[in-house]
Amino acid sequence: MTIFKTFLKVLNKCKAPIIIYTVFLIFFGGFNIKTSDNSMSFVADKPDILIVNEDKDNKITNNLINYIEKNSNKIEIEDNEEARNDALFYRDVNYIIYIPANYGEDFLKGVNPEIKIKSTGDYQASLAEMMLERYIKVANIYNDTYSLEDDIIEKVNDTLSKETNIEITSKLDTAKLDKASFYYNFTNYCILAGCIYVICLILSSFKNENISKRTIVSSINYKEYNMKLLISNTLFSIILWMFYVLLSFVLVGDIMFTAHGVIYIINSFIFTLCAVTIAFLIGNLMRNKDAINGIVNVIALGSSFLCGAFVPADILPDSVLKIAHILPSYWYIKTNEMVKTLEEFNFETLKPIVINMGVIVLFSILFITITNIVSSKKRKKN
Amino acid sequence: MKNVIEVKNLTKEYKKLKAVDNLTFDVYEGEILGLLGPNGSGKSTTINCILSLLNFSDGSIKIFGKEMKPNAYDLKREIGVVFQDVAIFDELSVYDNIDYFCGLYIKDKEARKSCIEDAIALVGLEDFKKFYPKQLSGGLLRRLNIACGIAHKPKLIFLDEPTVAVDPQSRNNILDGIEKLRNNGATIVYTTHYMEEVEILCDRVIILDKGKIIASGTTDELKELAKIEEKVSVEVKDLDEKYIEDIKDLDNVEDVDYSNGLLLITYKKGKNNLVELMDYLKKESIKYNKIFSERPTLNDVFLELTGKELRD
Repeated sequence: MTIFKTFLKVLNKCKAPIIIYTVFLIFFGGFNIKTSDNSMSFVADKPDILIVNEDKDNKITNNLINYIEKNSNKIEIEDNEEARNDALFYRDVNYIIYIPANYGEDFLKGVNPEIKIKSTGDYQASLAEMMLERYIKVANIYNDTYSLEDDIIEKVNDTLSKETNIEITSKLDTAKLDKASFYYNFTNYCILAGCIYVICLILSSFKNENISKRTIVSSINYKEYNMKLLISNTLFSIILWMFYVLLSFVLVGDIMFTAHGVIYIINSFIFTLCAVTIAFLIGNLMRNKDAINGIVNVIALGSSFLCGAFVPADILPDSVLKIAHILPSYWYIKTNEMVKTLEEFNFETLKPIVINMGVIVLFSILFITITNIVSSKKRKKN
Repeated sequence: MKNVIEVKNLTKEYKKLKAVDNLTFDVYEGEILGLLGPNGSGKSTTINCILSLLNFSDGSIKIFGKEMKPNAYDLKREIGVVFQDVAIFDELSVYDNIDYFCGLYIKDKEARKSCIEDAIALVGLEDFKKFYPKQLSGGLLRRLNIACGIAHKPKLIFLDEPTVAVDPQSRNNILDGIEKLRNNGATIVYTTHYMEEVEILCDRVIILDKGKIIASGTTDELKELAKIEEKVSVEVKDLDEKYIEDIKDLDNVEDVDYSNGLLLITYKKGKNNLVELMDYLKKESIKYNKIFSERPTLNDVFLELTGKELRD
């Protein structure tokens, strides 16, 4: 009990950083969750398009312009090239379509006239391009089949007016699962930072060279002493984990009562144990209390950024993700991301999740082994 | 007398360097044994070997008649150690620090409580129980360091230079505390390079140099080893060379040095040296301000034995 009581007293001295990390989670994580969009509806996006028409009044050309205007936001810009370029640069338009002179007549003659474009290259410009290509392809097909201008226009409009109804068949509450995933991804930072900071701080006191000497010469079994320290630190980490799990019930309650929630909880528990082993390794490598803050930032913040805790892993470069593979955080976050798309729970769907958790366990074993080697070498050196 | 520690042929080598070279000595129950020597003489290494903090190359160590090993927890229960470097938790108060280290030996809370109070009283920290280490001066920290090492009332105590860099008040307090520990029946091994402390405290002294015992015995026995018996200093102005030569010819005079108005005369063994000198000064009508005589110190003994000062 003496060691545990002292552990608690030392822990009490570092309550400020624990509170700071927790507040950080509640404010940034919780705020983000509460303000994110809840809707599951789908709305087609419309690009901003500018049409520069150099053709005379022609039915075919007018039909093309009508179609584009119907499916986009038509933008009016001053009639000079410099103004158009500026509009593109400032993203006032996504796409500029230059309809050449005699476009309508040339089209009917089967010349297939060239339409020049300018684009911002973003996804809305791609939408505009798809729309233009679709129109031209359909128009070309009917131009080959029909000879009358009005027939072609009628058939083209008929074909392009057909719309597809999209029905979301998934039973998943993706909005809430997104929130839960975001929360648990965010806990990657809080758990790592909390464990590393507190355990390193406590170990730097307990494993201080002079205090260690005094402990070794005392009548307590040194292995038993180390075991008590390990249990105390693990207990603290579990309490920290429980707190974050309870917080998740408050912030994303509904999901936490489902099977998805159970997997989030199990995954975070395994990751917490892994964080304890990381903290123990660092605690055994360093003794300088002043360096702890820097180490927390490098490891907790660094791995959180690299592995996609703050920004989605999808938008991270491949090279970064390759590096992230060597970090437990990557597997933890990957599991969270998998959970949110999980519709059925069976051996096949759960297998990759179990494998990811297994990888985290292997990381923990690796860190424990390295810690043992490091501390045994240190003992021999001393 | 009963042996508390028996060290036989203890040798500790670091690659080519022999830090401790074939040491053999005993420590008797109830005594304060001083381990005296300059930095690097092997004092701390010897203690670390005795405490099983270091493996040694050769020899044997017995404490209370049993072989000392890293897992000899029953023996360790009876040993208290105060290391040279202060070993305490910055995050714990004075009381909690002593409670923690005492708790490594004594599980019973009530028994521990009385031990802690006794330790606090012994080092005079009653007014600082709730203070944190950062609020304490260097001297008070040293006292706390001692309290942490002896709170469990050990029968054998190792004090490794406990008074390094402390103020006179704390030093006196610490020395008084050590006396009290001895009076309570503890056996103490005390390492230092402050010879005055050894002379005040220690029943026996072992002088170490380069890992070897170069002399041992009581302080008086050690002083007997010195060729010089007495040093006399006289404050006298403008002393002619003639008088200095005359003084050199007095009985038992080993050496005479005169500088800055201070005449320093070193005598070999012999009697009535001071009286003879004063008679000579009177006869020659030499006026002097002060005259004082002192016996050789352990530092003089050490200087004679090794050719260097203890604090080198």
